[in-house]
Amino acid sequence: MSLRTTCLLVSTLLSALGLVVASCQKGGGTEPDAPAPAPTPYTLTVPPGFPAPIIPADNPLTNEGVALGRMLFYEKALSSTGTMACGSCHQQSKAFTDGRALAVGVDGVANPRGAMSLTNVLWSSAFDWDGAFATLEAQAQHPIENPIELHQSLAAGVAKLQATSTYPPLYRAAFGTSTITNDLTLKALAQFERTLISANSRYDKFITSRTGFTADEQAGLQLYTTHIAPGVVRGAECFHCHTQPLMSSQYAGQFFNNGLDLTFADTGRGAVTGLAVDQGKFIAPTLRNLVFTAPYMHDGRFKTLEEVLDHYSDHVQMASPNLDNNLIQGLNNPPFGTHMDLTATEKRQVIAFLKTLTDSSFVADKRFADPH
Amino acid sequence: MKNRFLFTAGLGVLAAAAGLLGGCKKDADSSEPTVGTVALALEHVAGPKAVALNGTTYQTASGETFSINTLEYYISNVVFTKADGSTYAAPGVYHLVDVSKPSTTSLTISNVPVGDYAGVKFVVGVDSTATKADPLSLTGDLNPANNMYWVWNTGHIFMKLEGTVTSAGNKALTAHIGGYRAPYSAIVTAAPAWPSGTTLQVRAGQAPQVHLVANVLSLFDGVTHLPLSTFPTAMQPSATSVQVARNYAAGMFSVKGVQAN
Repeated sequence: MSLRTTCLLVSTLLSALGLVVASCQKGGGTEPDAPAPAPTPYTLTVPPGFPAPIIPADNPLTNEGVALGRMLFYEKALSSTGTMACGSCHQQSKAFTDGRALAVGVDGVANPRGAMSLTNVLWSSAFDWDGAFATLEAQAQHPIENPIELHQSLAAGVAKLQATSTYPPLYRAAFGTSTITNDLTLKALAQFERTLISANSRYDKFITSRTGFTADEQAGLQLYTTHIAPGVVRGAECFHCHTQPLMSSQYAGQFFNNGLDLTFADTGRGAVTGLAVDQGKFIAPTLRNLVFTAPYMHDGRFKTLEEVLDHYSDHVQMASPNLDNNLIQGLNNPPFGTHMDLTATEKRQVIAFLKTLTDSSFVADKRFADPH
Repeated sequence: MKNRFLFTAGLGVLAAAAGLLGGCKKDADSSEPTVGTVALALEHVAGPKAVALNGTTYQTASGETFSINTLEYYISNVVFTKADGSTYAAPGVYHLVDVSKPSTTSLTISNVPVGDYAGVKFVVGVDSTATKADPLSLTGDLNPANNMYWVWNTGHIFMKLEGTVTSAGNKALTAHIGGYRAPYSAIVTAAPAWPSGTTLQVRAGQAPQVHLVANVLSLFDGVTHLPLSTFPTAMQPSATSVQVARNYAAGMFSVKGVQAN
């Protein structure tokens, strides 16, 4: 072996050694701006029986990210007029709805649909009434920019935040950079929304202990979870769409026509997919906390739970295109009954059960309140 | 002399580098890997047509026509069989196929012992132990939130097909098949015929795929012909649901081929 060959070998090995050492080391080097400490992972508690939450790999929950998201959720600088924030239509006291049939934006113009509850939104795979968005991050930009909602480009809102003394350090703590971007803003909002967990209702206590319900509440649960066998078994079919334990179709991402209309002013899912078979279909939203979320349906047409039960029992448009099969076939009084035909007692029992889905601690939880 | 020194130094550096490399790597295993992965890919058809949830109509052997808007079912308890008859039962497989979600129409089974296999069978649905478990303990695809569950004393909906019988005045067609209690247990096993001369070679570092075709016309025909025009609406565990389950166990699945990958 010549000297030259040996020297080459040594230098090659030394450079390899350098690479190996470098790849074993963390970070290293001095930067003009010392790196921010890593954010602290947020401790998320999954309630018993709930499925694994849906959290994108590129946006893990951190204490700092959630705290920033909470600030942003109530930040009126994200509206063109400085008068509204996400929390204006998603009010904690109303389980993050607004009490209106149709949401109204900064210019006083009403949406075609109502503000949806954010209860347990981290178990959603499809967002908005029509599933137009697949992630919370993607969804959050829409109401900010929509001309009939907050009516301001997110970039304009981001510029306002960047100019404050408050926000750059919060972004730095959450994401390691003081440079505010659309992407980081949406990520922080989504992180906060994913902490809005409600699982402290009397229903949840009943499911774990199988005790504590009145006779009416238990009968209501039975009706809720029973598929009607006409002439054999009476039921109310609720669970088919408002599936336990989330009491929604938002985890499975499924859409249904519940027979509100014969023709559709709002085609719902059909406008997203372009399919005739999806016209008139909407997500089945969570029924948790529904005593706080009136009025009901995508257009808020029903003011009370009694009106909702009357609809499903007696007023479903049976000739509505794409009507859900469970409503077409769910006839409790064959051969002459033409609808679900619940009795007054059954309606009362279902409503008694639905009220057990109320979680008063959720609407009072200080962690979710306006921090400003 | 100088040469020898440099050469020795070179060896020393080499050893140091090797040590560091070893330190960076995960635990190395000197023995040959003994397991591989297998994918089961499902193609859904209704006779000659691909299933689409968009209003497409299909025709049964007896000439009835219908459309499909929902098709979901469980595959569990997958068992691979070797030519000598020995088997490998993959533990913990509970997979929900939802035709509206393309990512669910294939499933990957890992830790299959290497070898040459010539058969696969699986439960279409969920075994009784899993389906009668406390719903609070059900995770993943078995969780009730997937909308394939009745209540705790009835268990999972194993197979869900919803559609419209277009040849019978657009009558609703609903097949929710499930139940684990005699006499209406709908827990059935599909063991599709394996094409002769085909081998499923499971090897470390390879991901062979078994291409299965699932024909939904078999729900209503095969062992028992069930006319769509009179298909009953009572969809709790029943004599009809058992007939449907026996039909799809016998005829729904076929092996189209194996891709080595």
